[in-house]
Amino acid sequence: MLTVENVSKTFNTPGGQVQALKDVNLSVKTGEFVSIIGKSGSGKSTLLSILGALDNPSTGSIIVDDTEINKLSGGNQTQYRAKKIGFVFQQYNLVPNLTALENVMLALEFGGYPASSRLDRASQLLESVGIEEDQQQRRPTRLSGGQQQRVSIARALANQPAYILADEPTGNLDSATGKKIFDLLHDLSRSQKTTIIVVTHDLEIAGKTDRTFTLKDGKITTK
Amino acid sequence: MNVVTRGVKNAVRSPLKSGAIVLMFAISIALILSMLVARGSVLAKIDDVKANAGTAITISPAGVMGDQGGGDPLTAAQIATIASTANVSSVTSSLTDQMTTADTNLTSSLTLGSFGARQQRSAPTDTTGADPTATQTTRPAPTPRISVTGTTDANSVSTTGGTLTISSGTAIDGNSSSSVALVGTTLATKNNLAVGSTFTAYGQTVTVQGIYTTGNAFQDSGIIMPLATVQTLTGQPGAVSSVSAKVNSSDNVASTVTALKTALGDKADITSQAEQAATSVTSLEGIASLTLAGVIAAAAAGALIVLLAMILVVRERRREIGVIKAIGGSNGKVIGQFIVEGLTITVIGAVIGLVLGILVSGPMTTSLVSNSQNSTSTSTSTTGRGGRGGFGGGFASAQSQLNTNLTQVTASLTPQIFLAAVGITLLIALLGSAIPAWLTARIRPAEVLRTE
Repeated sequence: MLTVENVSKTFNTPGGQVQALKDVNLSVKTGEFVSIIGKSGSGKSTLLSILGALDNPSTGSIIVDDTEINKLSGGNQTQYRAKKIGFVFQQYNLVPNLTALENVMLALEFGGYPASSRLDRASQLLESVGIEEDQQQRRPTRLSGGQQQRVSIARALANQPAYILADEPTGNLDSATGKKIFDLLHDLSRSQKTTIIVVTHDLEIAGKTDRTFTLKDGKITTK
Repeated sequence: MNVVTRGVKNAVRSPLKSGAIVLMFAISIALILSMLVARGSVLAKIDDVKANAGTAITISPAGVMGDQGGGDPLTAAQIATIASTANVSSVTSSLTDQMTTADTNLTSSLTLGSFGARQQRSAPTDTTGADPTATQTTRPAPTPRISVTGTTDANSVSTTGGTLTISSGTAIDGNSSSSVALVGTTLATKNNLAVGSTFTAYGQTVTVQGIYTTGNAFQDSGIIMPLATVQTLTGQPGAVSSVSAKVNSSDNVASTVTALKTALGDKADITSQAEQAATSVTSLEGIASLTLAGVIAAAAAGALIVLLAMILVVRERRREIGVIKAIGGSNGKVIGQFIVEGLTITVIGAVIGLVLGILVSGPMTTSLVSNSQNSTSTSTSTTGRGGRGGFGGGFASAQSQLNTNLTQVTASLTPQIFLAAVGITLLIALLGSAIPAWLTARIRPAEVLRTE
């Protein structure tokens, strides 16, 4: 269970203070597939980074499985990200000088997976998202956008996280590839009971999720 | 793949960029090593020159250098003053003269040559002065002369500053007044002289007590006799043309020179090797300062190269660092990875630089020293003019040898210098890597999402 209680986030910018989130409250059940929609600048990515302990809220709290993650130390937040969260980014964000296989193994290393079985585990994960053996040895620049996003999903799944946070996962893909990626995430949600929170501005994708939250000017307007 | 392998892999991620950084760093390391070697060698040479400059002070009658110049010889009273001066441990007195064919039955082993002929032409032979024009026509043809040194210590003639090498026979007692002599090896060969042979000098029969050799053509064609003997034979009782005073410690040379100048006033010219050596090593001390500045500048340049290169790398990979942190990479792992990357580049650069430094340090030291000495010898050449000299020119020749030795600085890479270079390199590597690594720790993982 993931609960967001009265979360606000304010940034200091050269132009003055900007309030990205205003008193946001929401909760997501385990295994649920939810989407957060909203226009550009509505605070979607900010909310996602707070849920993933990439950033801390200015006020309020994030409770994940009875743990208030915003109160964890930096080191414990890193552990939380490594073991409980899988990130999928719009621009894939694979490490460019590592192969697809090494990118997944990197996440396994951070999650404390035994070194001896990382290779098999990474290879198995990549195969499960449709990356063939020869493609696994390629660097990201030699993979298509769809393939890179699949590698990114395999990396997110590496440590069997309880939550996958996806920021516009289909934003850089054509509609056919985007649909395949969405279906992949959807299947994961169903088969592994992984809670998936997708930030998107694609209403069609949002319509296929269990629930949709709408953010407008930093506030949740629809649940 | 772990932190170390990722760091090493990142170091060679962009071969061209890494290569350029490595090359620049290697050049700065080579400069550091070369400068350290040059400095070490020059400092060693300075110590060597100062240590070997000796504690000898040469006192000549004012206006006299060897057999040239004019003035009165030093008197027995002045010798006594010198000997009683504080810190003077021993005094060696010498009187030099030149025997013509009228003075001896020996034949000089030196060929006159154009130089010797010119020297003798300049010496007046007509004592009447009645007709200067006629003097030119009545002057006898120049003939080679034989140098005679009367000394209280025959070793003072040695060109090495040590003991005179006696190839046969025995040394003479410089304080005696016997009619005995040491004959230079080439003069002895020329005149078929051996130990026990006799020859005529100033109308007296002199017995050869030993044959000496110095390796110096001029010295080996001369004769050494006890001081008193030469004084008697040449009719100059008590006269001394040169005194070499030994000082008890090199630290007291300067004060003793001052004391002697005060005691003897304008009656004597006083010079010391230590003073000359101090002047001569000034240029070397300049090189030592220059090389120290070079070490500091090269080390600063090396540190700056690594620092700026790594800061650029961190800026370039800001997003990547954010991603690594976002997916669970700790600050420690990220910092470790960047330190390994920085160290890899610096280690490769250091190895190339050290090899390069070993290769260029010798020529660089030689070049620094010879350039410096060329300019010095031009500016000081007037002070070294010693004239014909006779054996009294021994000091001048020693000084000349000193100057020659100064250019013979051998670049030597000692383990201490190598360790110093490695130490500086490690310091640069740590400084150059630590600051960028610290910058990586400040990158927040949220920036990955925010920059999208």
